[in-house]
Amino acid sequence: MRFSFNWLKRYLSTNLKIGQIADKLTAIGLEVDTLENPDEIFRGFKLVRIKTAQKHPNADRLKICSVEDAAGNTKDIVCGAENAREGIMTVLATPGAIIPATKEVLKESKIRGIVSEGMICSYSELAIPSKKEGIVEINPQIDLSTSVGDALGYDGGIIDVSITPNRGDCFSVKGIARDLAAAGAGSFITASEKIVCNSSFKFPLNIVTEENNLSSEYAPMIAFRVIRGVKNGPSPDWLKSALQLAGLNSISTLVDLSNFWMFDNGRPTHLYDMKKVEGNFHIRFAKVQEAFVDIKGNEHWLFQDMPLMADDKSPLCILGIMGSSKVTCDENTTDILIESGFFNQVLVGKAGNLLNIQSDSRIRFERGIDRSSCIPGLEGITQLILDNCGGEASEIFVVGSEPKNETRITLRKRKLNDIAGYNVDWDEAKLTLKRLSLKEVGAPLDERATFSIPSWRSDLNIEADLVEEILRIKGYDSVQEKSIKVTVPENDKILEKRRQVIAVKRLLAARGLSEIVTYSFTKWNIAEAFREEKDLIKLINPISVDLSVMRPSLLPTLLLNAANSLNYGEKNIGIYEVGNVFFDSCEQSLHISGVRIGSKYEKNWIDHRKDADIFDIKGDVFAVLGYYGISEKDVSISSNVPPYYHPYISGTIILSSAEKIGYFGELHPKIKKLFGITERVICFEIFNDLLSFPIQKSDFFNGKIFPKISRDFSFLFAKKTLIGDIINKIRELDTKISKVVVFDHFKLSDTEKTIGISVVLDAVDRTLTEKEAQDVSDKIIKYVESVGGELRKK
Amino acid sequence: MSELQNLEASSLTEIGDCDDLEKLERLRTVVFGKNGRFTKIVKKLCDLSEEQKSKFGSEINSVKKVIENKFSEKFVKLEAYELNKKLEAEFVDITMPALPELSGKIHPLTKVEEEVMDIFSSYGFTFADGPDIESEYFNFTALNVPDHHPARTMHDTFYVHKLADAEGRKLLRTHTSPVEIHTMLANKPPIRFFSIGRVYRSDYDVTHTPMFSQIEGIMIDENVGFADLKWVISDFLKKFFQLKDLQIRFRPSFFPFTEPSAEVDINYEIKGGKIFFGAGDKWMEVAGCGVLHPNVLKSGKVDSEKYRGIAFGFGLERLASLKYGIPDLRGYFESDIRWRETFGFSHFVR
Repeated sequence: MRFSFNWLKRYLSTNLKIGQIADKLTAIGLEVDTLENPDEIFRGFKLVRIKTAQKHPNADRLKICSVEDAAGNTKDIVCGAENAREGIMTVLATPGAIIPATKEVLKESKIRGIVSEGMICSYSELAIPSKKEGIVEINPQIDLSTSVGDALGYDGGIIDVSITPNRGDCFSVKGIARDLAAAGAGSFITASEKIVCNSSFKFPLNIVTEENNLSSEYAPMIAFRVIRGVKNGPSPDWLKSALQLAGLNSISTLVDLSNFWMFDNGRPTHLYDMKKVEGNFHIRFAKVQEAFVDIKGNEHWLFQDMPLMADDKSPLCILGIMGSSKVTCDENTTDILIESGFFNQVLVGKAGNLLNIQSDSRIRFERGIDRSSCIPGLEGITQLILDNCGGEASEIFVVGSEPKNETRITLRKRKLNDIAGYNVDWDEAKLTLKRLSLKEVGAPLDERATFSIPSWRSDLNIEADLVEEILRIKGYDSVQEKSIKVTVPENDKILEKRRQVIAVKRLLAARGLSEIVTYSFTKWNIAEAFREEKDLIKLINPISVDLSVMRPSLLPTLLLNAANSLNYGEKNIGIYEVGNVFFDSCEQSLHISGVRIGSKYEKNWIDHRKDADIFDIKGDVFAVLGYYGISEKDVSISSNVPPYYHPYISGTIILSSAEKIGYFGELHPKIKKLFGITERVICFEIFNDLLSFPIQKSDFFNGKIFPKISRDFSFLFAKKTLIGDIINKIRELDTKISKVVVFDHFKLSDTEKTIGISVVLDAVDRTLTEKEAQDVSDKIIKYVESVGGELRKK
Repeated sequence: MSELQNLEASSLTEIGDCDDLEKLERLRTVVFGKNGRFTKIVKKLCDLSEEQKSKFGSEINSVKKVIENKFSEKFVKLEAYELNKKLEAEFVDITMPALPELSGKIHPLTKVEEEVMDIFSSYGFTFADGPDIESEYFNFTALNVPDHHPARTMHDTFYVHKLADAEGRKLLRTHTSPVEIHTMLANKPPIRFFSIGRVYRSDYDVTHTPMFSQIEGIMIDENVGFADLKWVISDFLKKFFQLKDLQIRFRPSFFPFTEPSAEVDINYEIKGGKIFFGAGDKWMEVAGCGVLHPNVLKSGKVDSEKYRGIAFGFGLERLASLKYGIPDLRGYFESDIRWRETFGFSHFVR
């Protein structure tokens, strides 16, 4: 809501400056978005005296004025105004100043061969409404060093306030002034509320109301009036300037007045050019798929329950929302019908949403307008039209009646103190409400008071609303902070889990992977490739096709990020994300997922291994699982993987109870293609929700250590033998086996491989004998032979 | 000069000239060996009288001591020299670069999340979580945002293609406030919790991304009010920004779920193109808050006559940006490699 300070003064008598008004507005909840302060508007302007004014050598109508400022500096300015003459004081704009009327930055320029070091300004160039022609003339008694704003008596300036959805009443200059006055920023001027216009003839139309329920629900009351013999044309300067400052375009006097009145008084009205109406006026609901062309020329297809003003042929206006271009007033308009209605705020919002039409009228109705304003609002606009366009007004015709449901709210002193959190001065509180035009009704009681709510405050409905009004007008700053009693949370498992996830993030970062955060939605075709057997969740109204499906896996967005890095020429990539994935009937689960491409190290002279491989990513996976107390011996690894993994270089991690807790491996070449990646990609996914707190281990420990015995074996296996399973089995062969390590792997031929296994043996209570060690060794060899392996002879 | 004196002089010279350990050992044999020079002189003692024996013997002993001392002195010297020579041969250019491991960073949102957790848990707030995909009921209706209310359309909601149920259509939550309702329904007052999570709004420009993160907190008790709310928010902001003189301004505002409602600003100034908080008289918005609307307490099955709730919400990215000078909101989710390197944190930083 944008308006000039001058406009505000129609309703507020105040000694405050615009800056103080702006501070006050923000303090009472009418947040000032922008403030155009005269001190800033007139930056680069100063008062000067014209010392000499000589004719321009190359132009008959131009003069060269030598001007002097308060500091005694002189400048030559080219000026065409007739009143530019020696001795007068005027306003000079220097290069760099922004001319208020055009918003253009003034530059030094050559005019007919003579350099002008600025511009002497007229009232219209300063955007100050005035009837005076030519350049500004300042009272010569004023000191030259006075600021331009003060010298002009300029009290303008623009305030733009953002109005919260509850304050329909403040979508008007009048409403804002009323709130300011209640907060002590001046006194409210009520004059415009008492206008009654003379009517010179009976209401001449038959307005057909076709549905009874229309009036009771959507439009409880509509007031009409006809004005005949108006003259429409360009708006007078004061009106143009007021609308321009408020950010509205001037169209014609009638349209401008309707807009002015809506911004001024908060009362939307609709004007119909009666010559353009075919037959009678009807108030009715729209037909299914009825066509409607709005004022901007956009076509809409209406829904059945939308309330209209229509003529015999077509809809003329969707009540409270927008009119049709068919009946717009233009320069030929002579007779008009004015409609001033009160419409249900919820139903206006609903209709506006369905049609996706936004308008100044809708904004006001759906936020709630003064339910008693139909008639006074109609009188006010009538007066404006009669004053500016002439004509004769009819009597007022009313359909329906004003809703009489006056709101009453009882405020208890105890409740006020409870919500505020401290003891508020009760008398002062009641006074504040009265300043906001709330009236105390019923017998006064010590601990409570009942108030009737003014017709324009449909946002006040409960006790807490009154508390807010009291604190808001008093100022939130006046509320003293009160410290809360700190408590100790018991057993906050969710926070603990959240902290564990952060520990995992740090662990992965320490291993060289960087955390990224990506959108929860992605492209459909990419999500499709990662969905396994799950249902995808699609958005009905995505922001773009690239962000249209909830991700079923973290890999799509990680891979998009990786592909992007590759495009930037990055060779070695390590990234991870922890976030939710979504599938089936709105289920979500927290995944930890990582991607590596290229080497774990930058190019270097020490480690010449080329790319990180499946065993690097397996290391990442078991580092994370290790944090949760899970090691390789606690899981089995299945080669049954989702189709986006390489079928032979990837695995599914299965925890004891046959529960899948993650995948790791190389990405399938087909999938890489989707992302335009040609490099080898290794990745993992861990399903964090399935992992529980680290298990506290209580191993037997007697404080003594006995020497360990180590035995190395070299076994021959068939190539496809799964060594991981064999290692796990060997571990369980004997309690004296404390560690089994693979130290060598060699591909002997296409069908055979040799594996070096080192086994560490010990006991908690004694040194093992050679015989005991040999027995275990034999057991191991026997087991390996039973699964098809063979001990290699040295 | 006596033979003994000659021996002493020549031996000392030869030891002095000796330049490696091996030669020194050979020389030792030449002097003290079985047939060594010294041994020869000692053997001559046999031919002397008892008196001469003891006189000459003590001379021999003192010469022997001198030579032996010289030997060990030289031995230590040569040994040190030779060890050094051996070590020198092992020379490694230690200016060669170390193994360049990829350095991983944690995302600034994680860092800030942890900071926020530390502060709120220190007040006794527990953590609560809620789903990203919500129903209209929990996202709007239960929070006192009725159908077709402008506040509902303001949120630019993403809806998902799933069947509506008794709780209405399914949508991506537009704020973390639904967690308030879930938590109230699951707990008996007094309640104090906070939540951090992703929220979604259909908006995309320089200052908006379709996804961002919020911090939500509520406290429900018999004796909390606006004054307590002011303390919680002020204390949190001072601790978070580590500025004890941070100025905090509460401005009246509107949220359907709170009454009274406020927006919270902190003061700042710009000096030399940099922003400084806790100084100057400009204001930056950081939070929304208020005393819970009785309808919200009712949705949570909390007796609104007996209890009151205070609630607040912060934008996580906004807090991170303000504290760590991160400019563009979109960078958080594009997380490209340069951005990560610049704004990510080492895993050591706490």
